Amino acid sequence: MPIPILATKLHLPQPRPNGVARPHLIARFEAAQHCGLRLISAPAGFGKSSLLSEWQANTQQQVAWLALDEGDNEPSRFFSYLIHAIQTIVPTLGVAALRLIQTQPNAIEQALISLINELSGRNETINLVLDDYHVIENHALDQALSFLLEHLPAELRLIIATREDPNLPLARLRARGQLHELRSADLRFSLAEAQQFLNNAMHLELSGAEVAALEARTEGWIAGLQLAGLSMQHQTDRPSFIASFTGSHHFVMDYLLEEVLQHQPPAIQQFLLHSSILNRMCGSLCDALLPNNERTGQSTLEYLEQANMFIVALDHERRWYRYHHLFGELLRQRLQRSLAQQTTPSLEALHIRASNWFEHNELEIEAFEHAAAANAIERAERLIEGKRVPLQFQGALLPIMYWLQGLPTSVFNQHPSLWVTAASVWLATGQVNGIEQRLQAAEQALATHEQGPKEQDLIGRIAAIRGTLALSQNDANAIIAQSERALAYLALDNLSFRTSTVWKLGYAYQLQDQRNAAKQAYEQAINIGQRSGNLVTVLLASIGLGNLQESDNRLTLAAATYQQVLSACSQLGLPAANCGAELGLARIYYQSNQLDLAEQHYQRALQAAQLLQHTDREVACQVVKARLLIAQGQLEQASLLLEQAQIAAQQHRHSTQPAKIAAEQVRIHLLRGQIQAAQQLAQNHNLAISQAQVYLAQQQPSAALAVLKPALEQAQANGWHDHQLWLSSIQCLGLAALGEHGQALQMLTKMLLHAEAKGFVRLFLDHGSAMQNLLASINPQSAQAAYRDFLLSQFAHENPKQLYPAAPSLLDLLSQREREVLELIAQGHSNQAICQQLHLALDTVKGHNRRIFEKLQVQRRTEAVARARELGLLSQ
Amino acid sequence: MTNHQQRAPEAMIYQICLRGQLDQTWSEWFAGLEIVALANGDTLLVGVIPDQAALYGLIKKVRDLGMPLISLMPLHSTTSPFNSNPNEH
Repeated sequence: MPIPILATKLHLPQPRPNGVARPHLIARFEAAQHCGLRLISAPAGFGKSSLLSEWQANTQQQVAWLALDEGDNEPSRFFSYLIHAIQTIVPTLGVAALRLIQTQPNAIEQALISLINELSGRNETINLVLDDYHVIENHALDQALSFLLEHLPAELRLIIATREDPNLPLARLRARGQLHELRSADLRFSLAEAQQFLNNAMHLELSGAEVAALEARTEGWIAGLQLAGLSMQHQTDRPSFIASFTGSHHFVMDYLLEEVLQHQPPAIQQFLLHSSILNRMCGSLCDALLPNNERTGQSTLEYLEQANMFIVALDHERRWYRYHHLFGELLRQRLQRSLAQQTTPSLEALHIRASNWFEHNELEIEAFEHAAAANAIERAERLIEGKRVPLQFQGALLPIMYWLQGLPTSVFNQHPSLWVTAASVWLATGQVNGIEQRLQAAEQALATHEQGPKEQDLIGRIAAIRGTLALSQNDANAIIAQSERALAYLALDNLSFRTSTVWKLGYAYQLQDQRNAAKQAYEQAINIGQRSGNLVTVLLASIGLGNLQESDNRLTLAAATYQQVLSACSQLGLPAANCGAELGLARIYYQSNQLDLAEQHYQRALQAAQLLQHTDREVACQVVKARLLIAQGQLEQASLLLEQAQIAAQQHRHSTQPAKIAAEQVRIHLLRGQIQAAQQLAQNHNLAISQAQVYLAQQQPSAALAVLKPALEQAQANGWHDHQLWLSSIQCLGLAALGEHGQALQMLTKMLLHAEAKGFVRLFLDHGSAMQNLLASINPQSAQAAYRDFLLSQFAHENPKQLYPAAPSLLDLLSQREREVLELIAQGHSNQAICQQLHLALDTVKGHNRRIFEKLQVQRRTEAVARARELGLLSQ
Repeated sequence: MTNHQQRAPEAMIYQICLRGQLDQTWSEWFAGLEIVALANGDTLLVGVIPDQAALYGLIKKVRDLGMPLISLMPLHSTTSPFNSNPNEH
């Protein structure tokens, strides 16, 4: 799912117009540009970000910027931002990696490898700044970043600014000369810098002794010096201020902030305190937060920037700002204190105002965060659902989980829908455990509530989530029961739940081979999904439709469906849909005997499958690969692969793949002449097609036909066109083996008509030499001759394969007398002449002619001769 | 966090020493810990910290204020004069 990206997190911070230039530090930093990691590690207020913004404004190098916050502890969100930051320099870089991360949060390492490969070999180097890295507490991210550092290409250099040393292999990097560090001792203002800052930048005209006193008191701490400068701008008696400040033991920031605030007009004081709840702010947001303030938000922000009031512009347009983190922290402490003394507005009310503004401006995650901070349960819960896509799929998983984890059980019980929200949020993390308990808790809590429309919808949601749990176990009956219950209860306008529920129904019907019902459900899901913008479900339902088209033998249509899904996936990602479509195309190209293309699609399907957890898709890929290997005559490899697949399928308890694996294993046994083993497998899995194949190999065509008959009847009754075609192909061979040549050829001719229209090739090739012989017996003058010739030419490229002994040839079917008659016809003798030569009555000769024509499937003597010549039946 | 009637098994009284003085208005900010000004200009934060997660949370707050952290020490005696929670006695 694409994660919305706040551009302000990626903007290069602009250097302060009247800041102190620090050329010696910039030079050191530039000189270390070969280092994979440049670390600026110092407490708050030491000018880390200021130094970096001065550097980026002056360097010739390419700089990308990412300002981190707590929500970035979610790896998929962190790396989405990281790649977007890189894309501010090269927009085409990392597209594949980004898609991987957004659809498959577990694939971070694979995504990084893809990114590293893309970066390698470019001529330019990108310097990526990760600002405020101390907010990162997720060890998985430290590990991922260590991996990136370990494999860092020369084209990417990392710069980390942090308040604490990151959990990265710093010692190792140091030892290799790959780490350059700037620490608090390097960053403190020297006396000269303090002088320049206070006198030039702040225009204070202090004496050397005064500067020295302030420098000593603040220990060169830049934030402290800046606040001291701000306080003094409004002091009439500077010497006594300096004396009391330097004499005080008070925490520098606390002391100075009090001084600064007291010298601001009340409107500004109020603005500073109230807006401190915002992580970022713009004029109109501040207006919403402080509706009665005498100044507009925009003019106040500009005033604060000019007054050096620890405010940082986040974009070039000077629209978004934030407070310096330390200053903001101190303001929030004071806000809490001042709100405790007055009644309005409460902190909660302020957060609600902010939440309202963000919601209005469609910044849903920030709207949620302020609602959560206000403890506005219903509001927060409503916002989690999102306008189009729930927020947990938009990069807000962590804030939502933190909020839910912080709520006491009693709140959950008062709001049963919270239990359901929690269940679906946890389900989104891929954790199946604990979901059912939450649903039961929701039901218990619901029992004590009045039943209104909202509660009805909730019952529907509970059932829908249970349907998803059943889906992970391929339990068709449970999926159908839960989904039907869900549809009965879900609100009619709850399209998001309804769409995915209808899709689940389709999936369950497909499991049960109820193809018409499945088709209807998928079409409905696509219909509602398109109207409500639920593209994920539309794609999954399209894959289902493609599968059904394949089983209807409509391979061309299915291929078009899969191609459509793939082009949509290229924007949306979604490995489940990607895998389904690639695998479908692999099967279709296999069937049309374009094995190279089939192999390519198989490879892509496998890549996507490896990103999916808890599914049997990788096994499904292996089955297709085994078919390819068998077609290429690599039985040993195919057999090994199928053994692995069998083990993997057993681990996934509810897989539909074991029967498919067994069918391929039977074919391998038959090709190797291991009839006993083939028989055992076919029996164990009760596979009609495989059993019939075994009987053919055992030269028991009647038994084969007896197995096929009921299976064909069932396939016909249910409209299972794929089964019909496969069963018929074996039936032809059975009839031929039984000596029923006429019938066999008639049936094969009919099949050819169908197969040519639908593009089936391997259907014939996979039966090996028996089918080749039978095809050769088809009259080359017949309407299907072209396709027959095409198939025979494809056979010519195959490794010869024999699954079953060839049926008796036509030569065996013609009697000695019939062959003599045929020879004479070929030599141009009339019937009369033949009578004389063979000493037979004319009627007898005509009878032989009729049977010869019948067996050769021809009408006239000339045709018979041509056909006999082609089949090599004539002596010359 | 301040009103734990029953102390969790991992709860401990801690004494955190910071450089620079803070007044009592910071107590709520620091999860209700007692704020004690020392004569040398340092500050002690003292009180029951329910578990390790809360301890790290506090240290992070100190870090984010940019206050130099001087020491951190568990006090085993529940009869410490600095104990902020009367229910503990």
